[in-house]
Amino acid sequence: MTGEQGHRRTSGGDASTRLGRLLVLPLLAVLGAVLIYPVMFTARVSLQDYRLNALDRVEFIGLEHYASLLSNATFTTALRNTAVFVVVAVTLELVLGLALALAVQRLGRPRDVVRSLLLMPMFVTPIAVGLVFRFLLNQQLGLIPPLLDVFGLRINFFGPDLALLSLAMIDVWQWTPLMFLMMVAGLESLPQAPFEAARVDGASTWFTFRRVTLPLLRPAIIIAVMIRMLDALRVFEYVFAITRGGPGQATETIQYLIYRVGFQFFRLGEASAMAYVLVGIVLTLVGVLVWLTRREASA
Amino acid sequence: MNERRSQPLLLTLVLAVGLAACGPSADDTAASSGGGGAADEPVTLSAIMEEVPDTDIVLQLIEDFEADHENITIEVEALPFDQMRDRIITSALAPEPTYDIIVVDNPWMTDFANGDYLLPLDDYIEGTDGYDHDDFAEPLREIGVVDGTTYGVPFYNYALSLIYRSDVIDEAPSDIEEYRQLVADISAEDDLAGLAMQPQRGYKIFEEWANWLYAYGGSLTDDSGNVTLDSPEARRALEAYIETYEAAAPEGSLGWGFDEALRAVAGGGAASMISYNWMLPTLNNPDGDAGDLAGSFEVAEVPGGKAALGSWSWAIAGNSGHPDAAWEFISWLTSPEIDKQRVIAGGAPTRMSVLSDEEVWEQGYGQHYYETVGAILEDAEPLASGPNAEEVIEVVGTHLNAAIAGDESVDQAISRAAAEAETAFGQSSGG
Repeated sequence: MTGEQGHRRTSGGDASTRLGRLLVLPLLAVLGAVLIYPVMFTARVSLQDYRLNALDRVEFIGLEHYASLLSNATFTTALRNTAVFVVVAVTLELVLGLALALAVQRLGRPRDVVRSLLLMPMFVTPIAVGLVFRFLLNQQLGLIPPLLDVFGLRINFFGPDLALLSLAMIDVWQWTPLMFLMMVAGLESLPQAPFEAARVDGASTWFTFRRVTLPLLRPAIIIAVMIRMLDALRVFEYVFAITRGGPGQATETIQYLIYRVGFQFFRLGEASAMAYVLVGIVLTLVGVLVWLTRREASA
Repeated sequence: MNERRSQPLLLTLVLAVGLAACGPSADDTAASSGGGGAADEPVTLSAIMEEVPDTDIVLQLIEDFEADHENITIEVEALPFDQMRDRIITSALAPEPTYDIIVVDNPWMTDFANGDYLLPLDDYIEGTDGYDHDDFAEPLREIGVVDGTTYGVPFYNYALSLIYRSDVIDEAPSDIEEYRQLVADISAEDDLAGLAMQPQRGYKIFEEWANWLYAYGGSLTDDSGNVTLDSPEARRALEAYIETYEAAAPEGSLGWGFDEALRAVAGGGAASMISYNWMLPTLNNPDGDAGDLAGSFEVAEVPGGKAALGSWSWAIAGNSGHPDAAWEFISWLTSPEIDKQRVIAGGAPTRMSVLSDEEVWEQGYGQHYYETVGAILEDAEPLASGPNAEEVIEVVGTHLNAAIAGDESVDQAISRAAAEAETAFGQSSGG
């Protein structure tokens, strides 16, 4: 090994490397305390019958929690609800975000103002968004139902059939701006040459989009989807603010279930096992997406 | 070279931190040094309370307390309900407590007592002259008792009652079937819903439905704590509740909780609701949410006569460093004289003597209100008491909501709720 690209190691180089490492130590300490310790602690608790109201009676039970999760219908329903939520929300966000990015790209002077306005929903705290929509969509008290009434529409937004989709729409309202932002960044980083070539060759807008824009954007799309998906998997605020997991179990997402079991029912061991199963699923998904990205990069 | 040596070092550091987490946990809740200090040392007590009007009244009274007791200062942290329990648990588990004085909601009482989060108060009560502990309404008093030991004294009640528009409903029905017919009739004719219901999954639906359960002669548990929910009465009560929801509740109100129901009633969208008895003064307040409708509300016992009851109690944190000073405050605030002042200022009553005091009638909300509250408290029962009560409420509330949403039949919902309630009570943290 030639070490640092063939440079001769001077004493200055050694000192600066050592200084660098020293400066990183505080960050590592913080990471250790805030990240590594809780992660390992949760792993340990997931192997125990650990209840917050019975801390003097903690027992090691091995993989019993994990085994019981396999046959826990509430758990699988929560996973399914979360999956539906994520697929619906992220797909719509991608489509809308990309459409908006393409549209805004063509604007001339108003572009910056329009961009700033479009980003605004992202900056509102999610629980406030949840509470506001809870009342906006309220049949008796809200602003939206009377507007829909004008068109003869009566939608029971938080009834058993539509509640999960309504929450997904709220997510779309709040987070499409993030997708929009990432797509704008992606579009602006694309090389101009292929587009000029397409224009010279007389390609239609749709053709250009399908055969030039999309393929070039694919890495950016994959990253954007991954970022948003990881966030959407942890949906909690909208459920907590509006439906509490109901009606029935229609909107119980995995994060909300973990909260219920761990902090309302005090069964922290079981909740920790659920959290780790979620971690496993997320890591798998991330692995798949990273593999896709690698494949893109080498293609 | 340097790099290769420091990598294993960093790795070791990471592993060390990780293993520390896996090792035996440090001793928890090391109680801070001994009992309260001498009464003359300056002491700062910290209290956690809920962000509700009753707390504002207490804050006023604290000023009087501090004037009388110069060595004691009280700092109150008022939080929304949803944040409180987590904060209390964190404080109870910490080596240094955040709070000395805790308000405890009745479903938490057994769990907190069993977890040693609270100090037993019997000795304090006996040692305080003129305290008259028996003067508290019996259901409220009993809420603070776990396995024969008193851990809390009543702060304020939130017993449920029927709140209704006296300009729409002449006389509140005392029979549940009458009430059901009445609200269905109102919904059928006017633009007004007969009642605003709160079928939100979990706590809210059970809090409301418990009154229906009692009206049909059912119960969650018997006197010995055995689960008695799986009964024909409970099934009838749930069927009736669902039928009334379909016939009389506002459209699309399946997920409604307290906020929606209150606004529906205050805004003239519904003629009645089953809600906390002290919502009456709030609704009739000319400066309050009801606007033009203020003054047109009345209160009565829930149809059927037996109400679900909730209540907050004062307790002293088990790991508090100043229990004596904490008791000095609590006993002062809940003493007959000061409690009377609290109720006159608008606080929800807890003492029978205060409820029948003519001065309170005059300066408070009138004789009818206090007599009604007295009648309610005579025959009211907490939603659930015992270990894991919170979980029991949530679990029953989940199945009730599943039934009204159509996910489960009434039969399935009741039998599953009863079975899971049994499990929750049985997998107890207590003895």
